[in-house]
Amino acid sequence: MSTEHSTPNASPSTNRFDAIVVGAGPAGSSASFTLARKGFKVLMIDRGRRAGTKNMYGGRVYSEPLEAIFPSLRKDAPVHRWVKAERLSFVSDEGLTSIEYRGGESKSFTTYLPELVNWMRAKAEEAGALVATEVRVDRLVVEKEKVIGVQAGPDTVYADTVIDAEGVNRLLLEGAWQMNVPRQEDLAIGLKETIKLDAERVNQRFGLEDEGMAWILLGSVTRYIPGGAFVYTNRDSVSIGLVLFLSHAVKRTNGHISRLLEDFRLHPKLKHLWRDGELLEYSAKLVPEYWRGFMPRRLSGAGLLVVGDAAGVLLNNGMTIRGVDLAAYSGYLAAETFTKAHAEGDFTSEMLSAYGRRVEESFIGRELRKHNGLEYIRRNPHFFDQYPRLVNSGLGRIFNIGLESPTIWKALRGAQKDVGPDAWTAIKDMYKIGRTL
Amino acid sequence: MQILVGIKWVPNTSNVRFDPKTGALIREGVPSIVNPHDLDAVEFALDLRDRYGGEVNALSMAPPSAIEGLEQVLGMGVDSAILVSDRIYGGADTLATSYVLAHAVKRISNQRGKLDLVIFGQETIDSSTAHIAAQTASWLDLPYLYYVRSVEIKENGFIAVERWLEDEKTIYDLPLPAVLGVAMKSREPRPVRLIYKIRAKAEKPIEIVTNEILKLNPNCVGLKGSPTWVSKIDYTPEVKRKREVFMDPDAGKAAKWLMQKYADEDINLIGGAHR
Ligand SMILES: Cc1cc2nc3c(=O)[nH]c(=O)nc-3n(C[C@H](O)[C@H](O)[C@H](O)COP(=O)(O)OP(=O)(O)OC[C@H]3O[C@@H](n4cnc5c(N)ncnc54)[C@H](O)[C@@H]3O)c2cc1C
Repeated sequence: MSTEHSTPNASPSTNRFDAIVVGAGPAGSSASFTLARKGFKVLMIDRGRRAGTKNMYGGRVYSEPLEAIFPSLRKDAPVHRWVKAERLSFVSDEGLTSIEYRGGESKSFTTYLPELVNWMRAKAEEAGALVATEVRVDRLVVEKEKVIGVQAGPDTVYADTVIDAEGVNRLLLEGAWQMNVPRQEDLAIGLKETIKLDAERVNQRFGLEDEGMAWILLGSVTRYIPGGAFVYTNRDSVSIGLVLFLSHAVKRTNGHISRLLEDFRLHPKLKHLWRDGELLEYSAKLVPEYWRGFMPRRLSGAGLLVVGDAAGVLLNNGMTIRGVDLAAYSGYLAAETFTKAHAEGDFTSEMLSAYGRRVEESFIGRELRKHNGLEYIRRNPHFFDQYPRLVNSGLGRIFNIGLESPTIWKALRGAQKDVGPDAWTAIKDMYKIGRTL
Repeated sequence: MQILVGIKWVPNTSNVRFDPKTGALIREGVPSIVNPHDLDAVEFALDLRDRYGGEVNALSMAPPSAIEGLEQVLGMGVDSAILVSDRIYGGADTLATSYVLAHAVKRISNQRGKLDLVIFGQETIDSSTAHIAAQTASWLDLPYLYYVRSVEIKENGFIAVERWLEDEKTIYDLPLPAVLGVAMKSREPRPVRLIYKIRAKAEKPIEIVTNEILKLNPNCVGLKGSPTWVSKIDYTPEVKRKREVFMDPDAGKAAKWLMQKYADEDINLIGGAHR
């Protein structure tokens, strides 16, 4: 009497879409929203329990690119605090030196990425996109070098174009294009903790009135490993974390890397800022660090567009990380390219290659190219070691006056002899920095 | 077979914290999930459908946010879902809950003309009473078995039900329809499938049933219909860890060190071994 229960016949309406978006992060949600709004039949798939659960970042989003995609952002996005305080600190055993800027206008905000992503997902769904969560895509289905759909477990679903928004860990793309795994030199590892602290304390301890602070720290906070530490103030919590260049981190940490973050949280000069806070969560994730190395040679193929972290459109210049907004905007550009291709009924690699050009010609391409010179700073470990120490040692000599104060020149020279690189290197470095900035 | 599976939408208690002052559950920011033991029941039901054909439908009494959980079980392959949802059902204990569920079951059974099995998970992670299946069976006057591990269909409308207790396994012959409680962790719930998830989203096979439809006496449901009160939650104080670590790789030395620590703390191991 056994009767096999048959799979619901994947009817044409449920196994064929105009576009399938893999990944519901900032890049995928923006692409889906833009496509759905134009009336396309869109399927967005994510392996998280709900959209947002798999997404993590440091804490600050630049709003303008997002506002171009989601016009209602300032009205209903889950913004925690608009950032009006920027702080940069050099931390070393010798001391801590900070530069702080406070302005009136704000073009970036802090939020929890899962909340923001879920908001974007809701916008996409309201616009008509079909969102399937809890499903991991196993493979991009390729036929005669054209991507024709995705496979998840026993199911295959088809589309004119697949938008790959799978993030930094781009296994699907590697499979479809037989790409190599990325090099350590092109990646960074990010670690983060969120510490709950009531809004009043956040305001008090960081000198805020409900606005936000973005704070980057360099030096001993990473045990002088190239990279940096960050602190972002949320509504009633702070996000603290580290971003370390992977190749250096691998060489210079023994034991679990999370210990470095523990040390940062317990740093004697900083820990009072989140004292009595409650540790809510710990997370870690890779960051595409050096876009020139990480970006695939092309951003599209027949039936395929690659967006967001998977495409390597992320800018980290030490002071600012722009991943979310660039990812979102690349998703938007992919949707625009798809629209054009659909009008022509042409999804060949020639047609879709317009997307790569759009990215290059947009602010994304310009921003990435502009910050090319930073490569020099990045590849010189003493920027994260000797210079923070130099600053603190020098200022220490200037401010810790005994009977007689040193001249500034003497203070700096003394500090340089003590902790800094040799004079010639310092001059070369300063010249390079000057040119880069 | 016509099968109904009960689904509870619960706070993910592995994340739940208590307010040490009031003893109340801190619900804020705690995401809800499908009670994990109910997924065992879903798997159990889908496996029966795989073997004997028929239909599996999910039934839940919960606020509308539970739709997310119902979409999960639809994604596993459940055919459709019924969400019994009404403000006046809120604050219910197990008596009031089973009362509503039993009436929902009756309604479904009348609608479909036939119902063979109502299957529940063993218990829920947020209250662990294991009352619901038994109480629902009582309201419906149906035979009920718990800690069930497997079911075979026999001739003449009977099923053979295998139940495991700690040290015995019993096989019962039960007439249909019947109510079962599935032994927890006895199944590996199947993953969500893309095609089913798309269907769940595209066809929205979730019926929402309010009290306007069920027409139950407001005094028998929700807070009003619940004679159980939680009078107090006792809070076991946290034990301060001493964070001592013995680093020598010599296992013998480590064992001696550990036994000495027990002795120092006057901790009596089973049988007082260290004395
Ligand atoms: C520590 C750290 C700090 C950062 N700080 C900032 C910051 O302050 N500001 C900023 O703008 N950016 C920051 N970034 C970068 C930012 O997080 C990313 O650039 C951004 O999230 C990229 O978005 P995305 O949509 O491309 O990818 P992701 O956010 O990674 O999303 C990819 C999605 O794809 C899904 N997925 C992957 N594979 C599959 C599959 N096979 N099947 C189904 N689903 C799949 C995943 O579940 C995930 O939801 C930071 C990153 C890190 C790690």
